[in-house]
Amino acid sequence: MLLQSAVALASDAHPLAGTIAAWVWLLPVLPLAGFVINGLLSLNSAHFGPSDPNTPDHHPHSEGAAEAPVISHGEEEGAAGDDHHAVKRHRWAGVTSIVGPGVLILSFLLALGIWRAMTGVEMEAPFIQRYFSWMPVGDLHIDAALQLDQLSMLMILVVTGVGAVIHVFSVGYMQDDPGYPRYFAYLNLFVFFMLVLVLGSNYPVMFIGWEGVGLCSYLLIGFWFNDKAIADAGKKAFIVNRIGDFGFLIAMFMLFANIGVLDFVGVNAKALELGVGSGLVTAICLFMFLGCTGKSAQIPLYIWLPDAMAGPTPVSALIHAATMVTAGVYLIARSGALFSLSPVASLTVAVVGAVTAIFAASIAFKQWDIKKVLAYSTISQLGYMFVGVGVGAYVSGMFHLVTHSFFKALLFLGSGSVIHAMHHAYHTTNSHEDAQDMRNMGGLRKYLPVTCVLMWIGTLAIAGIPPFAGFFSKDEILGEVFLRAHGSNLASASWLGMPGSGVLYAIYAIGLVTALMTAIYMTRMMLYTFHGPNRTGATEEQHLHEVSWLMTGPVVVLGILTVIGGWLNLPRAITDVVPLGRPAVLDHWLEPTVGAATARLSAGTREIPASTEQLLILGAVVIAVAGIAFAFAWLKPARLVPKRDAPAEEGFERVVANKYYVDEGIDATVVRPTYAVSKTFLWRVVDVGVIDGLLVNGSAAIARGFGWLGSRLQTGNVGIYAWVLVVGVVALLGAFTLR
Amino acid sequence: MNAFLESIGYNSWVLPALLLIPLVGAVLILLLPSRDEPIGGGVENPVIRQVAFWLFMIEFVVSLGLWWSYNPADNGWQAAIDMAWIPTWGVRFTLGIDGIALMMVLLTTFIMPLAVLGSWTSIRTKVRSYYALLLILTSGMLGVFLARDLFLFYVMWEVMLVPMYFIIGIWGGERRIYASLKFFIYTMLPSLLMLVAIIYLGLHVRTASGAPDFSYDHLLAVSSIPERTALWLFAAFFLAFAVKVPMFPFHTWLPDAHVEAPTAGSVILASIMLKMGTFGFLRFALPLFPGAAMNPTVRMVILVLAVIGIIYGALVAMVQPDFKKLVAYSSVSHLGFVMLGIFALTLQSVQGALMIMINHGISTGALFLLVGMIYERRHTRLIDAYGGIARVVPLFAAMLTFVSLSSIGLPGTNGFVGEFLVLLGAFKTYPVLALIATTGVIFAAAYLLWAIQRILFNPLDKRENTHIPDLNRRELALLVPLVAVIIWLGVYPAPVLRRMEASSQLLITRVEGRTDVARVSEAGRP
Amino acid sequence: MSFDLSLPAQLSSALGPDLLLMGGSMLLLLWSGWRPESDEHQRSVGMLSMALCIFTMVAVGYYAYTGYTATVGAIAVDNFRWVVDEILLIATLGTIAMSLDYNRREGITPGETHVLILLATSGMMILAAARDLIIVFLGIELMSIAIYVLVGMNRRTERSAEGAIKYFLLGAFSTAFLLYGIALVYGATGATNFSEIAANVSKFHLEKSALLMVGVALLLVGFGFKVAAAPFHMWAPDVYEGAPTPITAYMAAAVKAAAFAAFFRLWLEAFPSLLTTWHNSVWWLAALTMIVGNLVALSQRNIKRLLAYSSIAHAGYILVALTVGTKLGSSAFMFYLFAYTMATLGSFAVIVALGNRGEANMGVEEYAGLWNVRPGLAIAMAVFMLALLGFPIFGGIGFFAKWYVLQAALQAPYPQTRLAVLLVVTSVVSAGYYLYVVMVMFMKPRNAAAVLPPRTDGFTRAVVWGSAAVILIFGLFPDAIVAVTRRSAPSLSTDTAPQIRAVPMPRPVTASRAEVVTLRSDSSLNGR
Repeated sequence: MLLQSAVALASDAHPLAGTIAAWVWLLPVLPLAGFVINGLLSLNSAHFGPSDPNTPDHHPHSEGAAEAPVISHGEEEGAAGDDHHAVKRHRWAGVTSIVGPGVLILSFLLALGIWRAMTGVEMEAPFIQRYFSWMPVGDLHIDAALQLDQLSMLMILVVTGVGAVIHVFSVGYMQDDPGYPRYFAYLNLFVFFMLVLVLGSNYPVMFIGWEGVGLCSYLLIGFWFNDKAIADAGKKAFIVNRIGDFGFLIAMFMLFANIGVLDFVGVNAKALELGVGSGLVTAICLFMFLGCTGKSAQIPLYIWLPDAMAGPTPVSALIHAATMVTAGVYLIARSGALFSLSPVASLTVAVVGAVTAIFAASIAFKQWDIKKVLAYSTISQLGYMFVGVGVGAYVSGMFHLVTHSFFKALLFLGSGSVIHAMHHAYHTTNSHEDAQDMRNMGGLRKYLPVTCVLMWIGTLAIAGIPPFAGFFSKDEILGEVFLRAHGSNLASASWLGMPGSGVLYAIYAIGLVTALMTAIYMTRMMLYTFHGPNRTGATEEQHLHEVSWLMTGPVVVLGILTVIGGWLNLPRAITDVVPLGRPAVLDHWLEPTVGAATARLSAGTREIPASTEQLLILGAVVIAVAGIAFAFAWLKPARLVPKRDAPAEEGFERVVANKYYVDEGIDATVVRPTYAVSKTFLWRVVDVGVIDGLLVNGSAAIARGFGWLGSRLQTGNVGIYAWVLVVGVVALLGAFTLR
Repeated sequence: MNAFLESIGYNSWVLPALLLIPLVGAVLILLLPSRDEPIGGGVENPVIRQVAFWLFMIEFVVSLGLWWSYNPADNGWQAAIDMAWIPTWGVRFTLGIDGIALMMVLLTTFIMPLAVLGSWTSIRTKVRSYYALLLILTSGMLGVFLARDLFLFYVMWEVMLVPMYFIIGIWGGERRIYASLKFFIYTMLPSLLMLVAIIYLGLHVRTASGAPDFSYDHLLAVSSIPERTALWLFAAFFLAFAVKVPMFPFHTWLPDAHVEAPTAGSVILASIMLKMGTFGFLRFALPLFPGAAMNPTVRMVILVLAVIGIIYGALVAMVQPDFKKLVAYSSVSHLGFVMLGIFALTLQSVQGALMIMINHGISTGALFLLVGMIYERRHTRLIDAYGGIARVVPLFAAMLTFVSLSSIGLPGTNGFVGEFLVLLGAFKTYPVLALIATTGVIFAAAYLLWAIQRILFNPLDKRENTHIPDLNRRELALLVPLVAVIIWLGVYPAPVLRRMEASSQLLITRVEGRTDVARVSEAGRP
Repeated sequence: MSFDLSLPAQLSSALGPDLLLMGGSMLLLLWSGWRPESDEHQRSVGMLSMALCIFTMVAVGYYAYTGYTATVGAIAVDNFRWVVDEILLIATLGTIAMSLDYNRREGITPGETHVLILLATSGMMILAAARDLIIVFLGIELMSIAIYVLVGMNRRTERSAEGAIKYFLLGAFSTAFLLYGIALVYGATGATNFSEIAANVSKFHLEKSALLMVGVALLLVGFGFKVAAAPFHMWAPDVYEGAPTPITAYMAAAVKAAAFAAFFRLWLEAFPSLLTTWHNSVWWLAALTMIVGNLVALSQRNIKRLLAYSSIAHAGYILVALTVGTKLGSSAFMFYLFAYTMATLGSFAVIVALGNRGEANMGVEEYAGLWNVRPGLAIAMAVFMLALLGFPIFGGIGFFAKWYVLQAALQAPYPQTRLAVLLVVTSVVSAGYYLYVVMVMFMKPRNAAAVLPPRTDGFTRAVVWGSAAVILIFGLFPDAIVAVTRRSAPSLSTDTAPQIRAVPMPRPVTASRAEVVTLRSDSSLNGR
């Protein structure tokens, strides 16, 4: 069968051939199996209709009747926009709780095994397994093949590892939802697609995963689909992503049209044919980057991510923080061979990343919904990653990707615990307050101590306080930007007429400012959530308490990762001073995959003395501390009032709180006009009016009209007939004689 | 498998058999005793639909052998037969398949049994005549794909009209009479113009006895048509096919016909009949008049119309209040991709166009079936009449969502393969047009997701929607094969592509004028 | 063997079938007068008339089989004549069969009606044979006078009488033109015999003689009237509507056939070298007829009037075959005639079957939901409509008829592309009313008030199913008929066809550039 042939097809020459790596195909297949099982379980509750649907049966036990009360419940709660849902445990919940996380844990273990195998051997070329030819057309050869190399390995570990943790958390978080198996089906499917995305050995296969994760995010955002706002959010996510995918597709077309290959190995080999810095390669990279902005929520396509928070919180943690949204970063790192050819495109990536970072951070200042704050912080952090990969520091970008997946997942899951607790409180007291609004929280420290501590760890990490993971990765990115500002290929390139080095310095500055803002708004979130007096409400307060170990446990794991994550890639500048451990592990690990590209862009970079570097790092830390301190000094949680009696923001604050009215703007300038034109002009006027009415039915009407005239002449009066006949005679005589 | 087929001389009889089985079946059905029993509302003989179903199954099984017996390496006619029909007019009864026809035939025979299951309970009156017409229709459609003689092709082409006219007009919706007449005349006018062109061609190539010769292969071998004349003839063929496709702006018969037709009618229209147009381009319009078709102006006009169709169809579909009409307009968009692929004329784009022809047959057919199912339950097709029913009918919701995703070309489903190949190939020859066309994938997502959101998701706020029964076993059974094919073609389309590649390649070489006349003409006389 | 028409004995034996029919009908006339009027009597006379028809058909068949020829003379002995005769006799047979049942229902007792039909037929057969203007006139008069009476046969309804008088008045009017035309042609060429006319025209170079031109023009008027070509068609709808349905069928089928036969023979045998002269006029006649017939038919709601206009339109199609003026054209005409006759007989038979006493309501809407109560008749009617529409398989032979005409038009030395396109376009228009009938029968619900049509009588049913069967069977395997029509062109074409080629052809005012191209490419082909 297929997989046997797959193993047979594996390139035997490769050192990994014959090792456990040969089972790489099992990585995605496990979650897929989980999807199938859970999917069947979720459909299992459906009742077949009558053999003749024209006579519908109205017996009260039909699905609809059973669900009806649930629905109304779901609606009113859903309207509050929080994670609330019916408490009705699915009949197969038990099985799902085993299968759902089980497959993930298994594939994580497998991933670990493969990782061990890889560390064992010395591999330069990626390990590629071809299974079958997917789209063979003439000179187009697209194989269904997986590619295992250091880059994909890193992603696999993140996806399966963090994924497994979040799956476990989900058990505690979702098991009382009537759609529990469906939820895990989607979640497993997502992991499947995510693994296809990172493992695919060519762009089209990667694109399967690319759109597949988009699909799953669509399904999971719209998980509680009976709320219009939620369903809208899901649709919006999908469509905005499609706009990005459009760019990705065009990039693929241009690649094929010009170098005739679409698999990574081939592209790496032939990339130079496109010409260094040529307009062509720039165009390809920019189209590809359009895809990234869609998937990774960068300007201009970031708009879907905040709405995506409508989904269950673990989903936000897994998809909209840890894995999917980082796919764009991965794509650029993967396509380093192309981007490194075009400094202009690379700079564009960096600039967009920087602008997005600061823009999103500014919005995060004024958000009250705890998840929205995290959403914007995610966008902002993704901006950092793009700065990293944009300036050709692919390792730093990936590094931040990893650490971010730790602490952001931690923060999301933590907020999930908070929301769960808040929600439980509101639910038991049948109050319909917003369980996600920070104005309704406050002082949760004493109710959720564990969560509070863990989230503080995450906050410090994201703010860039050593020794937490975020500190190392973020500073590495900023450091690289600073480095490249000195006479690298980027610095010497000109971007929109501006000198590259100037642009890079600007980016560096923005990065620092953003770091400060990050520290402030994250502290703000923590203060309003866990500190100061409680604003939940007198009766509700009684019901606030720490969530079950099923949910805290995974968060603890992430907490540990957040603490030690930095050791992945310690900067030399530090290890020279304090012997923390082996420096630049990740650099070595990723060298074979992104080394060449990095070298090409950073070529000519002048070394700067270690002391300068240490000074920069010190400065960054100071900024972070200052931000936190400022937040403590400036914000007064005690003054806050619950959401219901909170006054509306004024002036600029309102503009920020409403995200600069971007959504409204797009709606007014793009969505509505398109709809209106299509409806009133294209359909009513062009289609129904002109083509059908005027031309088609018009011609028919004309024919009938003439027929009617002709029949009018048929009066039945012989005299007229005779006259017509005579006219004919005259005409004929004329035709015959007068010639 | 092949050995077995050899042993029963499969290739020598299969094509005539495919045309004959349905005709015999129709007679059989008309002769069935009228053991009247109540079917839902009407009083009919319930055996009829079973007989019809099994007849179509036999047809399908018989045709299935072609999958194995077809030799992908050979780009000539296969399983060909050649009989005299009207010697004095030089008309012969010649059949044969190439890779393109093969897939179309299989698509037809695959869809028909499902169409019968789709009419199982929705057709309640005149059941006998209904299924008889379906069977006759099948012969006509297969004939179009199999004919190797332009006269025969034309006869089959027209024969399709009448059964469909009656199916729409008798078992259709409220405006069925208008729709059926419109469908008939709309498609008949250009067909008759094509008839004139065909006769002209036939007279252009005389047999030894001086009688006109309508053999496709002989016509290919001749290249002495003056350019101006070729343009006129191409115009005639183009109109006939463009209306069937339908290309913007010749599409307005389609929404009416699709909406008013009964479920099976819409399915057949969308899945098979629309392919007649694009098939006609591939089989006749392009190879016969390469000069005219590849004339830069003509080609550009057609390509632009195709791209307009893609965007226009999607935008108009987006604003339709009637789900069936939405699907109808989406067909305009999809077929626009096909036309783009055909006239971009790279191997990838043509292969992609063929894939879309198949995929559209599967996905849109499935969509129409699903619309029919929900219509049977609520007796309305208005999107706004629904909302939130995913809770009530989870199976239906799962199916509709999945099929919609394949229709918007999600990678891993069949829809992606076709669109990807078309755009990839078209980008090589017409980058700008391909770029514009690619935006179509965004609009596709917009209109379909928005539609299914308003049907399946959103609050379940209408009482009458809370008691809709879910799919029954028959409906599930008829959807499962479609879903299976959708996944198969999405994940492993290689076998299909391989079977079509030689023919597509031959088409391209022919049109680009490097045709090996000798090879073709000898293929004409097996 | 070959008849020497100068010898009375051989001349009369060359006229054998015609004489047989005439003589027989004389005897039948006596026999029908022998007994008092009664339904049984008219039926028995009818039976005998049908028998006589069959005898004559056999005789004609025998003559055709033995392949007699004849010297140049007043009448032709060729396949053209025999085939037309057979078609005429089939039409007659069908008509009599219908009128048997019709007369019973309408209470028309005189048996003479059938005899009159036979007499008209014998007139037509003479027309088919005529090779001399005098004979033509003889045949036309013999035919027409009988028809005048037949139209007015149903004394009870004033519409019938009205139709008769109209037909008579206008008929007389047009006959005058015809006769004057004959006179002028004689005056110009000094001959009434077709071949002599042709010979003299070319001998004395009369192509430009005004006298001859006017004569031809007037002849054209005369025939145009008989075949109801626009603008000489005005009488047709009223007369067709007024006449008893079987007679309407008879006029639509047989009269048209006979007139066209003479028309073709005269034009191709006597005026081949005048092709340039009459080409444009006939071209316009054809175009106008197709357009008027089809467009006006669209707005008809009375089934008989609708079919009247449809028959006008078909006259136009046949004129297309005449326009090309070639051997192929005449065999296309022959084929078309056969198909058209069959479809017309069948459709009128259905009307007879569905009509009710006094023919009160002939609205198409009467047939609403017919499919539910009389599926057989509905399906047969659909077949006839599709045949008239010229649709393959379901319309059977009708499609091949159109095909053949188109082929003739395009294969002519001077291809009539424009006319062919016009033909197909107008055919599409005709779908508008043919399908209207089908739609009413199949898709409209039966209105509650409508009474169930009586059970169809034997003979009518025989006509319906007979013609339906012929249409469908030959619709699958037309080759036999094609072969027959191939052999049945007027004897002219053989020798004059080259002349037609030789004629320097002025391009018609309507010829488009495309057409010119077609011409060039085709003439290059003719070499093959």
